[in-house]
Amino acid sequence: MTGTRLGGRIAARTDGMRSFALAALCLVLAAVAIWSVTLGTSRTSIRDVLAAILAFDGSREHLVVMTLRLPRVLAGLLAGSGLAVAGAIMQAMTNNPLASPGLLGVNAGAAFAVVMAMSLLGVASSGTHVWFAFGGAGAAAVIVYALASSGRAGATPLKLVLAGAVLTTFLTSLTTAFLLFDQTTLDAVRLWTAGSLAGRSMQQVVDVAPHILAGLAAALIFRRHLMTLSLGASAARAVGQNPVLWRGIAVVIVILLAGGAVSLAGPVGFVGLVVPHIARLTVGVDYRWIIPFGAVGGALMVVLADTLGRTLFASQSFPVGVTVALVGAPFFIWLARRRVDAAP
Amino acid sequence: MIRIAALVLLLLAVLLASVAWGGYIVAPGDLLAILMQPAGTNPQVEMIVLDLRLPRALLAMLVGAALAMAGAIVQAVMRNPLAEPGLLGINAGAALAAMIVIAALKDVPAQFLPWASFAGASGMAATIYMLSRHNGGTSSLRIILIGIGLSALAGAATTLLTAFGDIRDVQRAMIWLAGSVYNADWAGVRMLALWLVAPMAMTMMASRQLDLIRFGDDAAQSLGQRVNLVRALMMMLCTLLSGAAIAASGLIGFVGLVAPHMARRLVGPAHAGLLPVSALIGATLVMAADFAGRMLVAPAQLPAGIVTALIGAPFFAYLLWRHRHAAG
Repeated sequence: MTGTRLGGRIAARTDGMRSFALAALCLVLAAVAIWSVTLGTSRTSIRDVLAAILAFDGSREHLVVMTLRLPRVLAGLLAGSGLAVAGAIMQAMTNNPLASPGLLGVNAGAAFAVVMAMSLLGVASSGTHVWFAFGGAGAAAVIVYALASSGRAGATPLKLVLAGAVLTTFLTSLTTAFLLFDQTTLDAVRLWTAGSLAGRSMQQVVDVAPHILAGLAAALIFRRHLMTLSLGASAARAVGQNPVLWRGIAVVIVILLAGGAVSLAGPVGFVGLVVPHIARLTVGVDYRWIIPFGAVGGALMVVLADTLGRTLFASQSFPVGVTVALVGAPFFIWLARRRVDAAP
Repeated sequence: MIRIAALVLLLLAVLLASVAWGGYIVAPGDLLAILMQPAGTNPQVEMIVLDLRLPRALLAMLVGAALAMAGAIVQAVMRNPLAEPGLLGINAGAALAAMIVIAALKDVPAQFLPWASFAGASGMAATIYMLSRHNGGTSSLRIILIGIGLSALAGAATTLLTAFGDIRDVQRAMIWLAGSVYNADWAGVRMLALWLVAPMAMTMMASRQLDLIRFGDDAAQSLGQRVNLVRALMMMLCTLLSGAAIAASGLIGFVGLVAPHMARRLVGPAHAGLLPVSALIGATLVMAADFAGRMLVAPAQLPAGIVTALIGAPFFAYLLWRHRHAAG
C-alpha cells in the first residue's frame, strides 16, 4: 500500500489541516452520538439526556436513556473505533490491503466459542456471550501468531496472513459443521453473527471498555513505531527498529481492540477492513494520522449506521453489520474509483 | 518428478477408496470386474459403484481442479498471496443468488439453483470489473478494493436474509452454501467436464502471460505485454472456471486459496508447472474431503466444502511450520 499514489491535492495536505479535519470529525462524532441517544421509539430532548447522565432520578425516561440507549451508543463507539484501529494496525503490519482484524482469527474464534458455549454448555444469555467471544478471539489470535512466528525470521507478513487465513477457515468450517446439525443454536446465534448492538447492558460495556481503551491508547502512543513497521522489515531495521518485537506488540494491541470489539458487537468484518482504507485515501499513507482518523471514523460509521438502522427500519434488532455495509460500501466504492490511480 | 508421480498415485488411491468404501464395502475383485466389464456382475453393486459413487468422485475432482486453477490465476493477477476466486465477488454473488432463490422465492424448482448461482457469480465479477475500469485501464489494487466493497454489499443482503428468513430455509441454504457434491449424476459430470475443457486449455496456453504479469504492471508492460487486456481475459477465465464449479457444488472455499500455495512449494512459481499441479492438488483435496465427509459421521454426511477446510487447514499449517525458516 505504501506505493499508492494519491491525488496531489490530498498529498499536499499539511499537518495543520489534518489536525483541523480531525477536530472537525470529532465534533461531528459527538453530535451524532448525542443525536443517537435522543432517538428511539420515544423522542427524548437533549436536556433530558444530559439530566439522565448527570442527575439520574429514576424516572421512566431516564431509565430508557441509561439502560437502553446510552450503552448501545457507547458499545457502538467502542466497537467502531476498536475495529478500525485494529484493521489499520493489521494492514500496516502485513502490508496487505486485504488484511483486517478478522485475519488474525479474531472473528472466527469468537464465533466458534459462542456457538460452542450455546450448543454444548447451553449458555443462552447474551451476558455471558461477551466473555466467551473475548476468550475465543484471544485464543485464536494467539494460535495464529504462534504458528506464524515459528522459525528464524519471526512472523513475516506472508506467514502471518497465511496462518491467519488457515485458522480462520478451519474454525469457520467447524462452526458451520455444528450449526448444520443444530437448528436451535443456529436460530439463536444468527442475529449475533450478523453483528448486532441490540441489548447491550451498561455492565457489559463497562467490563469491555478498559481493554479497548487500553488498546486505543497504546496504538496512539506507538503510532510512530507502527508507521515504521509498515515500511517493511528491512527499512524498519535500517532505522533501528526491531521488527520482530514490534510485530508482537502490534498483535497484542490488535487482540485487545478487536477482541473487545467483537465481544461487544459480534463479528463485524467490514469496519476493520474498510475504514483504514477510507482514512488512507483521504489523509494519505501515514499511519501516524491513519490511526487517529480511523478511531474517530470507525466510531462515526458504526454509530451512524446503527442509528439509521434503528430509525429507518424501525426495528431495535436490525443488525448493525448489515447497515454498516449498506452505508459504507457505496461510499468506499466511490472513493476507490476516484482516488486509486496506479497499481501498487 | 517423483513428487508429481506421488501426487498422481495419491489421486488414484483416493479415487479408488471413495468408489470402494461407504455404507456398502465393495471387494477389490468385484470392483475390478465392474470397472473392466460391467455386464454380468451383481446389478445392485454395479449401481452403487457406477451410478452413485463414481460420478460423485469425478464431480468432486472436476470441481477441485477448476477451483485450484482459478485460484492460481487470481493470485498471479492480483499479486496477493491472500487472493482467491472469491476476491472477484464470485462467492458473494453466488451466495446472494442462492439465498434469494432458497429463502426469498421459496417455490422455485431445485434445478434452477445452479443457473441462478452461476448468474450471480458472473454478474458480480462483471460489475466489479466494470466499476474498476478507469481511464481505459484497471489496476489490481482497484479491483481488490472494489471487490471488497461490492462483496460487502452482497454479503449484507445475504446476512439480512439469513437473520430474518424462515429458519428451515436458512438451514437449507446453509447446506448449499457449505458446498457439497451430494446430488452428483453423470449428466452433471459430463456437462461440467465439457464446460471446463476450453477455459482450462486457454489458461494453460496463457501460462507465460501469467508468469509475466506477476512481476507488476510496469515490468510486464515494458516486456511487451498488453497488461489491461491480459488482466481482463484472466479475470474472465477465472470467473468461467470457478463460477461453473460453484454452480455444480455450492461454495467450496479454501481450495482456491491453498492449492496454488501447496503447488508453489512443490514445483516453484512458473505457471507451466504450477497450474496443472494446482489442479491435481485441488482435485485430490476436494475428492478426499467428500470421501471423509461421507465416512466421518456416517450415516450422516458432512458437506465437502466444510471437510476441505477441516483436513486442508491442518495440512497447510504443517507445511507452513516445515518451511518456517524460509524467507518471505
